Amino acid sequence: MTDIDLQVNGERRAVRVGDDDLLLDVLRELGHTSVREGCGVGACGACTVLADGYSVSSCLARAVRYDGVAITTADGLPENDDVVEEFVAARAMQCGYCIPGFVLMGHELLAENPDATAAEIDAHLEGNICRCGTYLEIRTALQNVAARRRHDTVKEPA
Amino acid sequence: MTATLHRPRDLGTALDLLAGTADPMVYGGGTAVQILLKQGVLFASDLVDIAGVPGLDDLVATPGGLRAGTMVTLRRMETDPLVHDRAPLLAHVYGRVANPRVRNTASVGGNIAHGDYRLDPPTALLVLDARVELSSAAGARHVPIREFFTGFQETAVRRGEMVTAIDVPTQPLGGAAFTKLSSLAANDWPAASAAVLVTSSGSGGREIRIGLGALAPTPVHVAVPMPADASEDDAADAALAAAEPLIDPLPDVRGGVAHKRRLGRVAVADATRAAWADTPRELRDTPREEASDDRRLTLRRLRRRQ
Repeated sequence: MTDIDLQVNGERRAVRVGDDDLLLDVLRELGHTSVREGCGVGACGACTVLADGYSVSSCLARAVRYDGVAITTADGLPENDDVVEEFVAARAMQCGYCIPGFVLMGHELLAENPDATAAEIDAHLEGNICRCGTYLEIRTALQNVAARRRHDTVKEPA
Repeated sequence: MTATLHRPRDLGTALDLLAGTADPMVYGGGTAVQILLKQGVLFASDLVDIAGVPGLDDLVATPGGLRAGTMVTLRRMETDPLVHDRAPLLAHVYGRVANPRVRNTASVGGNIAHGDYRLDPPTALLVLDARVELSSAAGARHVPIREFFTGFQETAVRRGEMVTAIDVPTQPLGGAAFTKLSSLAANDWPAASAAVLVTSSGSGGREIRIGLGALAPTPVHVAVPMPADASEDDAADAALAAAEPLIDPLPDVRGGVAHKRRLGRVAVADATRAAWADTPRELRDTPREEASDDRRLTLRRLRRRQ
């Protein structure tokens, strides 16, 4: 067992983990149940978290490696998160199981490429699976986030 | 039985663990190892996690190219301006592996050490003539990537050794392309893939270098000379004739032998046509110049458009 400090959504959480404990399980036990298990082999995206801003499949990640790393889970996003708001506005979810992963992948993409085209959105989300099939609405939501951020930037120049 | 996890803080300790434990396995990015452990098909007494070893994630320019430490992520190879400048084909191919989360975690060294015949990066590393650095407690040695894949799921890595870096020569001037064909999901393992580089043969002619993935028990490579004024059709025909004897597909859920052979022909022809069309008529033997910062930005945007 190893004592580690997880920095989850800006909050320090001291936890004792086994060498082969997965980040997925540790986060869920801490109450972050927006992190979900789907395929268990890194191919579906339901367990996505951001680690220092980079998307990671927490089902393949050993928690012991994330000592001191800033973790973002979808439940830690602010109430008025623009990606979440545009997902709601575009009705981009049905059952919602996969949506936290899509939201975080969207955040990662738009942080590194604010002008992402439809094709670039599709390419970045290629490893996320939505069983309800709301892919078109998800793409629209992210296009709307990009447009909204561009608009806000023009209105309030830094 | 669970394997004992070791987290060494320096390379010497890591190499001593590889030499001194019963049945060790290097734990790099961990994506493949973790899946194989979950599936119950990987048996190791000890896992040597090298994430804490300093220097293994260095990505640096070298006099003739670039050097990627074993823990550099696939995503960094895809996005780093250095790789775009010196080996754009390589950046493109790394960007086609699995999905962005896997690429954020999976490592350059672990990827090739996995030794799977369907991997994408070896196709580009083969045509670029990369060199693999292998280290053990006894020292380091270097193996050309063209001699690295020795058999089905087998590599030149010996007991007690690990991949510590890959050296990649600067991509020669000319055209390049990569074609990946999957028969199930788009980001599944391919049923056929081909990286093609067209470059000067040194005597005014051209050389077509072809790297194949998923089409034989190992990634394979072949080169064929072409006159500079040959047509695109001629180039595709010559590439197919050269590649054909190497195509020896393994049948599986992604297709039978005939299907994969057909996909292999399509991948070789498509990549060769694209690379040939991308090759300037006047191709001198001068090496690729280092790009300015402006050009780096353009390259990055180009990549995004794919």
